[in-house]
Amino acid sequence: MARIGVFVCHCGENISATVDCGKVAETVGKLKHVAFSTDYKYMCSDPGQTLIKDAIKEHKLTGIVVSACSPRMHEPTFRKAAAEAGLNPFLCEMANLREHCSWVHEKNEMTTDKAIDLVRILIEKVKINSALQPIRVPVTKTALVVGGGIAGIQSALDIANTGHKVILVERSPSIGGHMSQLSETFPTLDCSQCILTPRMVEVAQHPNITLYTYAEVESLDGFIGNFTVKIRKKAKSIYEKDCTGCGLCTTKCPQKKIPNEFEEGLGFRPAIYVPFPQAVPNKPVIDREHCTYYLKGKCKVCEIVCPTKAIRFDQPDEVIEVKIGAIVIATGFDIKRSNFFPEYGFGKYKDVIDGLQFERLASASGPTSGAILRPSDGQVPKNIVFVACAGSRDPAKGIAYCSKICCMYTAKHAMLYKHKVHEGKAHVFYMDIRSAGKNYDEFVRRAIEEDYVNYIRGRVSTIYERDGKLIVKGVDTLLGAQPVEIVADMVVLATAGVANPGAEELAQKLHVSYDSHKFFAEAHPKLKPVETNTAGIFLAGACQNPKDIPDSVSQASGAAVKVAALFSQSELTREPLVAYVNRTSPPMYSTCVGCFLCQSVCPYQAIEHEDFKTRDGKIIKTVAKINEGLCQGCGTCVALCRSKSIDLHGYSNNQVYTEVVALLNDY
Amino acid sequence: MNSIVSRAKELLENKSVQVIVGFEAGPTGKARPAFVTYPSKTDILIFDERCVQNLAVYLTKKEVKQFGKIGIVATLPIMRSIMMLISEQQVFAENIEILGVSTEGKYLDIADIQVMQGYIEKCDLSNPSNDQETLAMLNKMSMQEKFDYWQNELSTCIKCYACRQACPMCYCTRCAVECNQPQWIPVQANTHGNMEWHILRAMHLAGRCISCGECGRACPVNIPCHLLTMQLADQAHKYFNVYAGTSEKMSSVLSTYEPNDKESFIL
Repeated sequence: MARIGVFVCHCGENISATVDCGKVAETVGKLKHVAFSTDYKYMCSDPGQTLIKDAIKEHKLTGIVVSACSPRMHEPTFRKAAAEAGLNPFLCEMANLREHCSWVHEKNEMTTDKAIDLVRILIEKVKINSALQPIRVPVTKTALVVGGGIAGIQSALDIANTGHKVILVERSPSIGGHMSQLSETFPTLDCSQCILTPRMVEVAQHPNITLYTYAEVESLDGFIGNFTVKIRKKAKSIYEKDCTGCGLCTTKCPQKKIPNEFEEGLGFRPAIYVPFPQAVPNKPVIDREHCTYYLKGKCKVCEIVCPTKAIRFDQPDEVIEVKIGAIVIATGFDIKRSNFFPEYGFGKYKDVIDGLQFERLASASGPTSGAILRPSDGQVPKNIVFVACAGSRDPAKGIAYCSKICCMYTAKHAMLYKHKVHEGKAHVFYMDIRSAGKNYDEFVRRAIEEDYVNYIRGRVSTIYERDGKLIVKGVDTLLGAQPVEIVADMVVLATAGVANPGAEELAQKLHVSYDSHKFFAEAHPKLKPVETNTAGIFLAGACQNPKDIPDSVSQASGAAVKVAALFSQSELTREPLVAYVNRTSPPMYSTCVGCFLCQSVCPYQAIEHEDFKTRDGKIIKTVAKINEGLCQGCGTCVALCRSKSIDLHGYSNNQVYTEVVALLNDY
Repeated sequence: MNSIVSRAKELLENKSVQVIVGFEAGPTGKARPAFVTYPSKTDILIFDERCVQNLAVYLTKKEVKQFGKIGIVATLPIMRSIMMLISEQQVFAENIEILGVSTEGKYLDIADIQVMQGYIEKCDLSNPSNDQETLAMLNKMSMQEKFDYWQNELSTCIKCYACRQACPMCYCTRCAVECNQPQWIPVQANTHGNMEWHILRAMHLAGRCISCGECGRACPVNIPCHLLTMQLADQAHKYFNVYAGTSEKMSSVLSTYEPNDKESFIL
């Protein structure tokens, strides 16, 4: 016979201020099968937990109802206490008297009555609870890092340094990401490539890291600790083992006028190319979209000049399948480009450029070797305008968020310009200066006070060309909304940081959620900023939202620790609150009829087919089966199953029904 | 319909199928289902305006399946039912042969499922016109009037479950109402329990009803219960642009999400 214990918590005054806790304990104490009932000021405290443990032992309780706060915080606490007293933790239930009652009602009789009802229904439920055992799943101790920018590089190195294997997949021919394009970095103005390239080389040489560049994630199956990923290694059209990276082919390629992605369109590259001199791996790929051989069927100059005969025109894409235990997504971000800003003439006037293009102009390895020159005529701009918040914080354009990095890099751009063109004038139109961060505001002040950058608080309404000059029309709101017109030689737009193209597709492949701007979504905005909603998949860097380098690196290391913590266990245990498809005796085997509607509705791909076969292998019946490792216990399949063949451990149909009936019945 | 008879005879003779499911004339002159297993018996098969039953319901019955491969006389609603059953993995295309009958009552030569799909796509798939009129009348009613109408209609239900037995989409080996641990839907026929049963049945058929009207025809107390599922078929088409039973790879309206789904019905 059931012997239930009820423990009513005052939560200081959080519950007892409106609920008569003594009366609740006394009333439910008289109910059938309740062997013990008491109230206490703080059940979660050490004496409170001791009270529970002692009562379980003394009264030989078969189930307990802790009537306190939301189970979100303290269910593990009380379940652990129950387990320590020898009671199966899943025979402990929590009635939420705080969020569901005391906090939302006035102090009166009805509030206490509702509290009694909340306890009552759980007493009925816990009577039919079954003892559940945790689920154990093995862990494959190899991590996949998607994206080879600074966040991906940092994550890969940190995981690899804990002694675990890492597979780093990068879409473009080289790792390095946007950071490799940057000239200098705020707030110290040290050279971006100088600090990045040693890390890139470390990745290439690390014995625990397998690097796949020019490769993409094709599909993902499985669950935490046990993923299977398919990676498409796009054909590089060279045999990497033979290629020495001499670069002869890239100099002889007849196609020389292909806009260079790395130079943001400010320079050109051949069809067989290495994105930039410090690329890792430093071996070329053939861009089949632009290569003369693939377009016209003849050329093969690279094959002729290659001293090691490493060119392979017929190389196919290769899809490899690997088993991994955890994933770090570090696919980075992109910036808004041309047609988004018709009013600024971006894309129409050559001298209106974006922030990344300016980075390339200011970079010593860039198309102008670091000289700030107008893309239109190669002249040094004497008057330059920087427009912050180009697209960001503009709900009318659909981007309500702050891109976070632009205030700082605009200050940096203005400074770099002033350091290179001493006699030039730099103007910055801004909405607010958001320079929170270590040494950040000092950096902006330095731009204003030491480098005499003219900061104008106001937005730019339009930019147009007149006599080869760009007329920037804006407003100075600190001078009473006075119109400002600047005749500029060049305009740099700090365009909004946006999600990478393909981010949505990748999110769907990896089954992780993303927000309305297609940035990957974290599991909790404050307390789980590195985790995704899918267990075993973590986020690093600007794929979550625009971030600067220090933030990306910190998060990447955070993600690496999450992966390392996961890999420190030989097997994972999880709560057994998962769905299951019933099994009956033959010839029925299950009331499931195998319509597999549950399979299409399951958000976690946890539903599999199970065949019942005769001894000679003939299939008698195919029914659904739940993969316990993947199931998150959401119950969607339970609701959809027409024959009610699926049930949920811990929240079974019978338990829910019992609760409803308890509520309807008098006591 | 000589072509049905000759095709049935041919299929049975060359052992392409082991049973033909079709119609025969019953002793009172009504059409009834016939299960023909010998080529010599195919002469009993008929097809005329009396033959309205949805024969697809027999495709999932083990008594019929045990014969082996099935040949079935299929009108448009039966073809759509077969499509649904294939998409829900209850029937496998290689296990059936279709003896098609067009909406005009003409024999259709249907070689395979693709041909059947092509034919279905050419047809008008909306609800039958007389049912459409009744639904339009019901949809003009206020919420309360509608509730009263259905409560009145369903009060006569005797819970015989003929609607369920007649429906080819109700193929579960154990129906939700037979689940008594716990007993969500009461066994006895009473006003609330009847409502619960019919709401449950309608929801289980939402987006799956192929508008054959068989449930309404099967009802011994003349409850127009087919209007419930037909209304949902209408809604599935209106909101998701989907007609049930049009493709063998159909995904369920209730269990799938498309980014461009209309959500105007969410209150």
